[in-house]
Amino acid sequence: MGGDEKPATPPADPGEIDMGAEDPKPGDLATDMANADKANASVSSGPARKTPLSWSDIITVVRKPFLKVRRTELYPFVGTTMNDNMVRHYTVGGELAYYLTDVLAVGVEGMYYQRAFREPFDLVARQARRLPTVNEYKWSAALNFHYVPVYGKFAVLDKRIVTWEVQFVAGIGAGQSQVIPRDTKFPGFSNFLIQPNVGAGMRFFLAKWITINAGVRDYIFIDKFEPTNREVGMNETAEAAKKNADSAFINNVMFQIGVSFWLPTSFEYTTFR
Amino acid sequence: MNIKHIILAAAVCSTFVATEDTASAEGRRLNELKEAPAVRHRRLLVSGRFEFTPLFESTINADFRHIIGGGAKLEYHLGDKFSIGGIVVGSTALNTKLVDRIIPTLEPAVDNMTREPSQDEFNLRLNTMPLHGAAYASLTPWYGKLAAFGQAYVAFDFYFQAGLAFAQLKSDCPDSICNDPSPGITNPATMAPPDLNPNNDDPLNSGSRLGLYLGGGIHVFLNDFIALDLTFRDYAFGDNPSGADVSGPRDGPDGAVTKDDNRFVHHLFFGAGVSIMFPTKVKRTN
Repeated sequence: MGGDEKPATPPADPGEIDMGAEDPKPGDLATDMANADKANASVSSGPARKTPLSWSDIITVVRKPFLKVRRTELYPFVGTTMNDNMVRHYTVGGELAYYLTDVLAVGVEGMYYQRAFREPFDLVARQARRLPTVNEYKWSAALNFHYVPVYGKFAVLDKRIVTWEVQFVAGIGAGQSQVIPRDTKFPGFSNFLIQPNVGAGMRFFLAKWITINAGVRDYIFIDKFEPTNREVGMNETAEAAKKNADSAFINNVMFQIGVSFWLPTSFEYTTFR
Repeated sequence: MNIKHIILAAAVCSTFVATEDTASAEGRRLNELKEAPAVRHRRLLVSGRFEFTPLFESTINADFRHIIGGGAKLEYHLGDKFSIGGIVVGSTALNTKLVDRIIPTLEPAVDNMTREPSQDEFNLRLNTMPLHGAAYASLTPWYGKLAAFGQAYVAFDFYFQAGLAFAQLKSDCPDSICNDPSPGITNPATMAPPDLNPNNDDPLNSGSRLGLYLGGGIHVFLNDFIALDLTFRDYAFGDNPSGADVSGPRDGPDGAVTKDDNRFVHHLFFGAGVSIMFPTKVKRTN
């Protein structure tokens, strides 16, 4: 290939470009002799053998088509619950993230929840004569840290190259849940939740200022549920019910999808192509 | 219209056509790479190859029983984008947390004076899925490569599948539990009216089913002939997983388990497997 020849002496400054104009300085003779012997030893007198070039020997590194460093991502999204077979929550939310480097970002997010009961909620009540104990979520907010370790590109139907990347997210936040009383004559109560979260997602680049994002996030918290023994005279008030509430460790796994807008809307490369 | 107008109109038309031709000709001045393929010397990782995939599969967010099993996928890639194949999975079933929480609260023995099912009446009516699978056609519209942590460069593709699903369902409700001879109707032998108790009816949720299959997944190629295969699959067919009285002819429960209680249910699975491509040597495009 001819491009892998290295200079005999590297430049003193790694950033300095070796122009190769100066004559080599006289060095240690013994070292030169030893190097000459080594070079002669590698010369064989037999027929020359060609090493076939394989495509796997060539690594093509292209410039990243999208830079995120020092840019702000505004990400409105919608989401839905993935792991609750009693009540499904739909969310609308948004995240504002600032990229400190091309792979690290810090952001804040907020979500508003809307619930919908799933089939087993009614089915269990009808079939097993048991009223499920469920909570609904009202809102949540979090401070998140993003890390983008994987990026790639793919061809769509051999026509267009699309760049994408995988990001991991972890954060800490807060939220609110609300007890849905089994018997509507008793009041429900609300809980303030501390919610760490972890997740992963994919981002597809459409233009310099817009991307499509999709991902999964696990919001982890301890929630308080309505006590099973609630009747007149027992856990009748919201305060009494909350005091004797049953706690449970919850993983609220949500699928989220949305479109990100990037500010500034363009960027400039700071290194040569 | 005199001859002058005709000549003028003809001149205008010919000018317009000439202008159009010039514009089209300019539009044809394209870069010579315009017709070149998007990717040259691409490894044909799937085209003309058989794909055999031992796999593991599990339901996602099942209501009453998790279906967990292992099986295999065999696929032939007709070209770079289209393939046909089949999948067969043998499974076992595990109660979901919902079932584990309900059963201890139910009455331990059958009491037909209550509408509440006993533990056995609830549990033994739930069905399992010992065998399921699909025959499908697959489209692979996206392929590419990715860099992980700036170190590992691997090829991948996304694919989408659609076809025919099949499943073998099984429920083990014994005669001591499911013993209503005429659910929801007057017994023709004794003329006894319907008991309107669905807990002792046959759950009608076993047997073979055919339905719709949809899937989507990703291959991540570890080398030229081995790939990690991750897939979301939806086997949709008529089912009544709980064996419950869900609906009647006029909507809402009717006190009996009938064929109306079977409805089109989506059974969502996540599968992970290792695909082995045959032949193992890969070809390249020009």
